[in-house]
Amino acid sequence: MNFSRVFVANRGEIAVRVLRACRALGLETVIGVSDADRHSSGARLADRVVVLGPAPSKDSYLNPNLIVAAAMGSGCNALHPGYGFLSERAELADLCSESDIAFVGPTADTIRQVGDKISARELAQAANVPLVPGTGEVTTVEAAKSAANDLEYPVVLKATAGGGGRGMAVARSDEDIAKNFDAASLEAEEAFGDGTLYVERFVENARHVEIQILGDGNGAILHFGDRDCSAQRRYQKVVEEAPATAVPNDIREDMRAAAVRLAESINYRNAGTVEFLYDQNRNAFYFIEVNARIQVEHPVTEEITGVDLVAQQLKIAAGEPLSLTQDMINLSGHAIECRINAEMPGRDFAPSPGQITAWLPPVGDGIRIDSHCEQGYTVPPYYDSMIGKLIVHGTTRAQAISRMRGALADFRIDGIHTNTHLQAFLVGHQDFKNNKIDTRWLERTLLPAYTKVMGV
Amino acid sequence: MDQTQKDIRALVRLFEQSDWDDLRVETSDLKLVISKNSNAPGLTVTENVPRARAPLSSSPDSVEVAEPVAKEKVTEIPDGAVAVTAPNLGTFWRAPKPGAAAYIEVGQKVDADTTVCLIEVMKLFTPISAGVSGTIIDVVAENSAMVEFGDMLVLIDPNT
Repeated sequence: MNFSRVFVANRGEIAVRVLRACRALGLETVIGVSDADRHSSGARLADRVVVLGPAPSKDSYLNPNLIVAAAMGSGCNALHPGYGFLSERAELADLCSESDIAFVGPTADTIRQVGDKISARELAQAANVPLVPGTGEVTTVEAAKSAANDLEYPVVLKATAGGGGRGMAVARSDEDIAKNFDAASLEAEEAFGDGTLYVERFVENARHVEIQILGDGNGAILHFGDRDCSAQRRYQKVVEEAPATAVPNDIREDMRAAAVRLAESINYRNAGTVEFLYDQNRNAFYFIEVNARIQVEHPVTEEITGVDLVAQQLKIAAGEPLSLTQDMINLSGHAIECRINAEMPGRDFAPSPGQITAWLPPVGDGIRIDSHCEQGYTVPPYYDSMIGKLIVHGTTRAQAISRMRGALADFRIDGIHTNTHLQAFLVGHQDFKNNKIDTRWLERTLLPAYTKVMGV
Repeated sequence: MDQTQKDIRALVRLFEQSDWDDLRVETSDLKLVISKNSNAPGLTVTENVPRARAPLSSSPDSVEVAEPVAKEKVTEIPDGAVAVTAPNLGTFWRAPKPGAAAYIEVGQKVDADTTVCLIEVMKLFTPISAGVSGTIIDVVAENSAMVEFGDMLVLIDPNT
């Protein structure tokens, strides 16, 4: 490799993941930590620890200047940003580039291009990737009705100037349009100073399906199949699986081809994920966004392909050509990941930091734990609540589910509250087993059922 | 003095203060052998690789100079003394700019808002105040060295 020492600019389980991949490749490692993470397992694993600042993220993990200063000061010539934090901030990639540090990820320009929603949609359109069908501005009820009929009900009236659910109204018929148009426009006017509306197809029964890609930066792109991340709460993924067997094969092939086309069109470099919405009612898929980083759920793809994606990231960053071709990538079996969070599902998912007094993860064939936690570790209150990931692999989806249920039952974590019991209820639920869920299923069906069973 | 030489000095100091007879440190870039044994050679240092930072476009065999150990840190302070510590990681500067007089010297009296040093992060310079009035006892951090959050920079006797 043309670098020898990697700076890990992240914390928790992904820091450990990256450190392990670096060590396996014989690379030296430095980790930048906040004061709260001085004694973390990542700090022990790295060859050197540098303490960036006090605990709050804004004074440590979210400060690109501190991070690059630390990387330079500790003699690093590569930097891995993990996920979250600054991983998709072009500024960090730029600073690395200016300081002769290889950024393990896409170029700053790519991050900018795909990070902007409008620019990403334009790229998708140019690459013939389907978007959620919608209109330009509609100024009258009649125009809205006409558009809605073209797009097929249900549709949603949306504000061109904003988001976040303001100035939005779902319409299932011409009557709904007539009823809601003026109110939606008024709400948009009040919220964003602009009452202009447009109409978009409303995807009621959706799956979140994403394609893992790797690019060499010179136009060569590989895909590693699909992932289904439909089990979500408040737009946060809770359970992920690979491959997306609930989606028809021809749609999956089209999604993969679309993802590759999009990535090729921008000479995408390093790892990325192209996210789609699969409209189960209309059997169609639409582009949502590109995540220009390694993702939390990358292990399920690793389990079904046998490829170490983080190692591939490091090799690409070192300027090596792709060591795989598309026909060398085979999908085998089924993998499921449950995110383990330090939280109390029964108290509206309030975080549960504190000292872990017992940490006894499950072991066995096809069971993998990605975590930085151990007995005696104190989960700090400053960061998000995810403390690890439990991943299982089986030859079939049914076997993977059964393995996951056993693994969750065996997983003992004392001293803090976690969501393992809820996860077990989820993967044991009839709908999940039958693979008949959508992106609102967890909130609409699963949580009320769980609350009932728990007698809360 | 570069980082490797500073590290060697720190190692030698530690070794001298210890009750060990021999010390041998080997890394991929450096081999250091010291002995208090009068029969052995006193000190040998061998560096195995070229010093210069290799540009990324060069051959895969060139290796970056390693700093084998992080700098030895001072953590104990004399009774009653107050330490001014780094509020974040950065480069420690004793003077407003190279060639200028240092902000403070040992023995100097300071007020709470006297600037004692700068911490630089990527060309952004933050002045650090004494925090207490008193007399400078020691300047612990090394000029132009990287310091981390919480590292001691300057020691002050607040009772004078």
